[in-house]
Amino acid sequence: MQFSTPVFYIVAALVIIPAVLMVSLKNLIYSAMAMIACFSGVAAVFVTLNAELLAASQLLIYVGAISILILFAIMLTRRRSGAVGIFFHRQSWAALPAAAALAVVLGLVLGSARFNAGSSPKNPATANLSRLLFNQYAFPFELASLVLLAAIVGAVLLARRERRP
Amino acid sequence: MTPLQHYLVLAGVLFAVGAWGVLARRNIIMVVMCLELMFNAVNIALAAFSNYANLGAGRGEAFVFFVLAIAAAEVAVGLAIGIAMFRLRERLDVDELDEMKG
Repeated sequence: MQFSTPVFYIVAALVIIPAVLMVSLKNLIYSAMAMIACFSGVAAVFVTLNAELLAASQLLIYVGAISILILFAIMLTRRRSGAVGIFFHRQSWAALPAAAALAVVLGLVLGSARFNAGSSPKNPATANLSRLLFNQYAFPFELASLVLLAAIVGAVLLARRERRP
Repeated sequence: MTPLQHYLVLAGVLFAVGAWGVLARRNIIMVVMCLELMFNAVNIALAAFSNYANLGAGRGEAFVFFVLAIAAAEVAVGLAIGIAMFRLRERLDVDELDEMKG
């Protein structure tokens, strides 16, 4: 499926505006909500890139699972006193110019670079992707499950409350 | 039809916004969230190359799946570290983690 350039700009705005809001909002819960909007926007970008399976995985993993995990972590670590903290640390004034410079450099380099790529989408089929995942990348695919298992065990061990006798 | 470069610039700008958050925010959970933003930027670039590249179509999408798996592991461990840190000192500020300072 082909998408026109105005559609791309709308979808890009759906990604960038929530991302900027997320970094600049002070309330962590609002930031998490903006992050969910941004992740949904990234799913829309995947749809315009003809990656339907990726868009579905993005919604399931990021919007469904990771966002809930982050919201749980935010609510578990709320300060009981309710005192207003400092949200940006001492050197954060330098962060915005540095990030803006990074954006300019990346934009200039990526915008002008020439790749071994056509100007029109190739529409790779999902069947092609599954063939890659279960033939050529079968070993890394299985290894990823081992990494996830290790991460689960590590997360439980780290977050467990120590019971002192 | 959108050229490949548009997607790459979008990915670069999203990556820079995530880097801004990682550099500027104090809360460790916020830093983990901004790291996820940077992962997403890389995923957009990989999916764009997968869609436009002349060779190995679909290969970038396969890599996005591995990035998704590693990102899920990273966020689980990162948030667990955050919760453990909160238990220990009731604060989540990254600039207070200076025990390793020589």
